[in-house]
Amino acid sequence: MSTAAVAVPTNSVGISNLPNQRYKIVNEKGDHFTIMVCGESGLGKTTFINTLFQTTLKHQEPRRNNGPIKKTIDIDITRAVLEEKNFKLRVNVIDTPGFGDNVNNNKSWQRIIDFIDDQHDSYMRQEQQPFRKIKFDLRVHAVLYFIKPTGHGLKPLDIETMKKISTRANLIPVIAKTDTLTQQELSTFKLRIRQVIETQEIRIFTPPIDESILSNGSATEDNSAAIEHARQLIESMPFAIVGSEERFTNDKGVQVIARKYPWGLVEIENDSHCDFRKLRSLLLRTNLLDLILSTEEVHYEAYRALRLGNSNEENKDSSIPINTPARKLLSSNPHFKEEENALKKYFTEQVKAEEQRFRQWEQNIVNERVRLNNDLEDIQSKVKKLEEQVKNLQLKKR
Amino acid sequence: MNRDSAMPANLLRRKKDTKRGITYTMLLCGRDGVGKTTFANNLLESNIFSHKYNVVNQITAENESKVKVISPTKVVSYNSKNGIPTFMSELDPSRAQFEPGITITSTSVEIGDLADETANEDDIILFNLVNTYGIGENLDDSLCFDELTTYLEQQFDLVLAEETRIKRNPRFEDTRVHIILYFIEPTGHGLRELDVELMKRLSRYSNVLPIISKADSFGKEELAQFKKTIMKDVELYNVPIYKFEVDPEDDDLETIEENQTLASLQPFSIICSDVKDKNGSYVRSYPWGDINITTDNISDLKVLKNVLFGSHLQEFKDTTQNLLYENYRAEKLSTVTSPHIGASGKDNTANRASAAPSLSNFASLVNTGQFKSSQTLAMNLEGARTPELKEPYDNDQASPIKKMSQALKEENEEIIKNIKMESPLINDHNIPEKTKLRNISETVPYVLRHERIIARQQKLEELEAQSAKELQKRIQDLEKKAHNLKLREKLLRQQKDHSSSSSSLTTASSGTQLKKEDTLTDLASIASGRN
Repeated sequence: MSTAAVAVPTNSVGISNLPNQRYKIVNEKGDHFTIMVCGESGLGKTTFINTLFQTTLKHQEPRRNNGPIKKTIDIDITRAVLEEKNFKLRVNVIDTPGFGDNVNNNKSWQRIIDFIDDQHDSYMRQEQQPFRKIKFDLRVHAVLYFIKPTGHGLKPLDIETMKKISTRANLIPVIAKTDTLTQQELSTFKLRIRQVIETQEIRIFTPPIDESILSNGSATEDNSAAIEHARQLIESMPFAIVGSEERFTNDKGVQVIARKYPWGLVEIENDSHCDFRKLRSLLLRTNLLDLILSTEEVHYEAYRALRLGNSNEENKDSSIPINTPARKLLSSNPHFKEEENALKKYFTEQVKAEEQRFRQWEQNIVNERVRLNNDLEDIQSKVKKLEEQVKNLQLKKR
Repeated sequence: MNRDSAMPANLLRRKKDTKRGITYTMLLCGRDGVGKTTFANNLLESNIFSHKYNVVNQITAENESKVKVISPTKVVSYNSKNGIPTFMSELDPSRAQFEPGITITSTSVEIGDLADETANEDDIILFNLVNTYGIGENLDDSLCFDELTTYLEQQFDLVLAEETRIKRNPRFEDTRVHIILYFIEPTGHGLRELDVELMKRLSRYSNVLPIISKADSFGKEELAQFKKTIMKDVELYNVPIYKFEVDPEDDDLETIEENQTLASLQPFSIICSDVKDKNGSYVRSYPWGDINITTDNISDLKVLKNVLFGSHLQEFKDTTQNLLYENYRAEKLSTVTSPHIGASGKDNTANRASAAPSLSNFASLVNTGQFKSSQTLAMNLEGARTPELKEPYDNDQASPIKKMSQALKEENEEIIKNIKMESPLINDHNIPEKTKLRNISETVPYVLRHERIIARQQKLEELEAQSAKELQKRIQDLEKKAHNLKLREKLLRQQKDHSSSSSSLTTASSGTQLKKEDTLTDLASIASGRN
C-alpha cells in the first residue's frame, strides 16, 4: 500500500495513475509491427527499409549469376528486434521479390493478396482454439507500394494491385527514387497519381483527424498541432522518397544520411529534398498505433465477419466453435488452375494414346486370330484331302 | 573525265547520297517513362514531341536552320487487347486501369548535320524517328513483341517488294530501321526478362544499341557498377547488341582507338531534360544542384549524338543493308519462291504448273479482295492508321475508328487497283514461258503484298472484335455501377428517414459504416468468385 501511495498525490483516489500503469505494461511487453514492401525490383525497397530503421535489416540480394531469369514471385520475411530506450519493437519486414518483373504480369498480385489473407486466416484460427495464449501473428499492418518515378502516371498493374491490397491492409503509396524528378515534374506526377487514386476509389491509409475536437472548440494546443501535422501528411501523399545507407558531411559540416552525386548531395532527412521524414513520422513516430489498431479493427474484422458470416449461412445449426471451411486456396489461384488444366489435358491425351495403343493391339490380335484360323482351315482341308486320298488308295487296293 | 572515274567508289556514293539526302531511320524502344520522348527532343534540339498526357500543339523547331518537320508524327502501327486506342489522349483517371496496348509512331524531319559543324551546308539527313508507346504498361506485354517485329519485318518487305518489281517507283522511301536505341531502366539490378527478350528479337532486324536512361539516379560508382552488370547480363543471355568492334587489319589507328573508347563506354548512360537555363543549355535543376546534360563525365549524350549522326551513321546503314536485310531477303525469297526454283530447273511445263498456285492465289485475291475488303471494312473497322495525329479525339470512340477505317479502305482499294493495272498477265491464263528471274520479279512483290494485306485484314478484324467486346463490357460495367449507386442511394435515403427522428448521431457514423461496407462487398465478391 505504501508504495502505491508514493506515486499518488495525497488528495486523489489514484485513478489518474492508470495510464502510467498501462505505460509500464506496454513498455515491458514491447510490441510488434509488420510492414510489407511491394513494387517492381530496382525501386529501392531494400534500401528504404534499411534507411527507415537505420540499420542493415535486409541485405541486398546477391546477384543472380548464371541461371535463367526468375519467373515467380517470392514472399520473403525478415524478422528483427529493434530496441530504443529499452523499448523493444519486433519488426517483420515482408518483401515480394519478382513482383512486376516479368513479361506477363497478369495476376502477379495474387501471391501478395493470398499472403495477406492467409495471415488473417491463421490468426482467426488461433483465436478459435480453446487455449489461445500464444499467438503467431503476421498480419500486415502497413503495405508500402512503390511507384516507379516515370513522371507519367500509374500503370494498370499498379492500379489493380493497389485496389486489391487496399481492401485488406493499410496501403501507403510512395514514389520511389524521386531524385530523378525535378520539383515541377514531381508535383505534376503526384497530382496525377492522386487523381487516379481518387477516381479509382483506392483507399489509402490516412492519419485520422478527429474533427469533433475542432468543431467542439475543445482543441488544446497539443491537439491542434497534431491535427495540423496530420493535415500536412495527407497533403504530401503519395510520399516521394529517396533512400540511402551512407552518411556524408554536408556543407554545414553535419553528418547526414545522403546520396552523393557529382552535382550535389541529396539529404534524406531534408524536407525540401524528399518526404522521407514525413513517411517515417507516419509509419513510426505518430501513427504506428493507428496502423496496428486499424488493421485489427477494420481489416481483420472485415475479414473475420466475412468468413464467419459465410460459414454461418452454410451450416446454421453448428454450435459456437464454428469450423470454418478451409479457404479454397487451391482452386482460387489462377496459376494452379492453369496447371490443373494443363495436367488434365495431358492426362486425357495420355489416355487417348493408351487407348489407341490397346486398340491397335486388339486389332493385331484379331488379325492374328484370323490368320491362324485361316491356317487352321487350310490344314484341315489338307488333312481332309489327304484322308480322301488315303480312302481312295485303300479302295484301289481292294 | 579521267578524274571522275578515278574517284573512289564510296565518295561517289556519298555524292549520290547527298544529292538525294541521306535517309536515316531510328527506333526508340523501351518501357514507358524511361525518357524516350525527352531524349528525342534533346537529340533534335527542339521540342517537336509532346509528352504523355501532356498534348501540346507546338510543332515549333527552335533551331529552324537545323531541323524541319516534313511529316508530323503519325501512328503507323497499333495493337491493343481491348482494341481501343489510347495514344496521345489526355489523362483520364477513370479509365486508367485499362491496358493501353502498344502504339508505334513515326515522324520525319529534315536536319542539317548536327554532329559535324564543318560539313557542307547542303548535307541533309532525312531523319525518320520511330517511337514506341506502351511497352511495359500492359499487364501482359507479350503483345509488344509481335507488334514491333511485324513492323520491322514490314519495312523489309516493302523494300523487297520494291527491289523485285519490274517497274520501280522513283519516289520510293526506304523506311528500314537502321538503329534501335533500347532504353534500359536505371534499376541497378541488371536486365529483366522483357529487356532480354525484346532486344533478342529486335536484333534480327536492326542494330540494337542499349543505353541507360535517367542516369542521374546513380552516383559515380553505382553507375560504373550498373554498366558492368548490364554488360555481364548481355553476355550471359547472349543478347546480340551492336558492339563497337575493331578490325586491326582494316581500320586505321584513329578508328581503332575511337571504337575502343566507345566500347569501353558502352552501354551509354544519358541524362535528358526539357528545361533550358538562362544560357540556353539544357539542365535538370534539383534542390541539391543543377546538372548540365551535356557535361561529359556525367552523361554520354554528346558522345551518343556523335555516334548516331557522325561517326557510325554509315556503318549502321551498311550493317542493316548488307547483313540483316540480306539475310532476311535470302530467307524470305527461298520460302516464297522455293517451289518455282525447284521446278523450273526440270522443265517448263512443270514450272508453269508450280507457278500457278501462288499466282492463282493472288488472282483470287484480286477477284475477291475488293469484295472482301468492302465487306469487312464496312463494319466500322478500327485501323492501324490514324489520318492525323493532332486531330483531337472526341470523347465518342467511334469517330476516330471510322476515320481510320475509311483511310484504310481507300488505301486497300488503291493497292488492289495498282496491282491490277500493273499486272495484265495475272488474269491471262496463257502465261508465256518465263525465266526464273522474271518469275520471281513478278510473283514476289505480289505475294508479299498479298501477305501484308491479309495480315492487316486479320489484325483489323481482331481489333474490331476486341474493341466491340471491350465497349460492350464497359457499357455493362457502367450499367452495373449505375444500378449499384441507385441502390445505395435508396438505402441511404431509408437510413436517413429512420434516423431523422432519432438524432444526428447515426449520420455522423454513416460515413465510416459505408467504408466498412465497401470493404465487405469487395471481399464478398472475391469470395464468391472463389467458390
